[in-house]
Amino acid sequence: MFNTYLLLFFEFFKIGLFTFGGGYASLPFLYHICDMYNWFSHEELTQLIAISGITPGPIGLNMATFAGFQTLGLKGALISSIALIIPMMIITSQVFRLYKKFSENSYVKSVLYVLRPTSCALILGVGIKLFYNLVLLNKLSFNCIDYKALFLVLFLFVLTFKLKRDPIIYMAIAGAFGILFQFVKIL
Amino acid sequence: MEKINSFNIFKAFFKIGLILLGGGYVIIPIMKQELLEKRHWLEDDEVCDYYCVSQCLPGIIAVNMSILVGYKLRKFKGMLAAVFGMGLSPFVSIVIVANLLSKIMSISFIDGLFWGVNLSVIVLIYLTLKEMWLKSIVDIFSFFWFMLILLLTVFKVSPVVLILVSIALGLFLEKVKRIKNV
Repeated sequence: MFNTYLLLFFEFFKIGLFTFGGGYASLPFLYHICDMYNWFSHEELTQLIAISGITPGPIGLNMATFAGFQTLGLKGALISSIALIIPMMIITSQVFRLYKKFSENSYVKSVLYVLRPTSCALILGVGIKLFYNLVLLNKLSFNCIDYKALFLVLFLFVLTFKLKRDPIIYMAIAGAFGILFQFVKIL
Repeated sequence: MEKINSFNIFKAFFKIGLILLGGGYVIIPIMKQELLEKRHWLEDDEVCDYYCVSQCLPGIIAVNMSILVGYKLRKFKGMLAAVFGMGLSPFVSIVIVANLLSKIMSISFIDGLFWGVNLSVIVLIYLTLKEMWLKSIVDIFSFFWFMLILLLTVFKVSPVVLILVSIALGLFLEKVKRIKNV
């Protein structure tokens, strides 16, 4: 048990230290944790992603808190969110002091030049995985069939040409469609 | 103008954490409204500067921004107040939701809701990528590197390894460039 506390701290410290590119960038890490340990199942992880999006606060922080809770209850939630934040507090406050130097340093620029495509690829990897699981495979036991999922994704995709980037709009529309589809099926 | 002390910083960020929904870029208008227009703690371009810096740093953008603002206002104490304020309402709401998870999962329309929201994540990931793409894939090398990492993620290589290798390569490339220039 003690080991699990340490491992949990370590894993989320890693996420805080190595995630670049905002909330969904920590998804590859969470899937990795899911594959490595028996802390939560893939299905629980998809629930966790959905809930984190529709509760207040930054998604990345919500996902970490939730994952910690799934693993070790309230203590787990505390450990995972603190572990996530510590590396940011150390690095970001130091960077603030060196602000000007930091943004013009050529090593930093060169590292970012390589890191940015890496982040893109990692995030796209998760997108592909989600698309495969939810649309093509439909192995999650939601009461809907694949072509509905495909339709909804395409519909939201078309909406991106019209709407702003505010994520909550897409979640609300998609959630409403999900509920509608479910009731249509029941009727 | 509200007095700048740890408690007021905590209060301001508590509100930001409470009304921030969905994460990501939404933080900019919220911070502008709460810290700039209401409290005049920041200059206009500071919010955007902090956003850009936060994007380049590891971690969560909104949390990094609150660290930057808190540190700017009251150094270490301000940073703690800002992060604690920002984190409090997400923490409480997640713990409540997680505790009620079995009840929530038994609501009749919850399957449909989650199904839809999860599908929307695919599109949100697309939007995130679209935002990052132009800044990230700037030449043939970065495209090649992108494809290589994508291939490696399929084989379940740990993201930490991929990021560490990327950092090492970035340092190496700059080192080579400097040696050549000498």
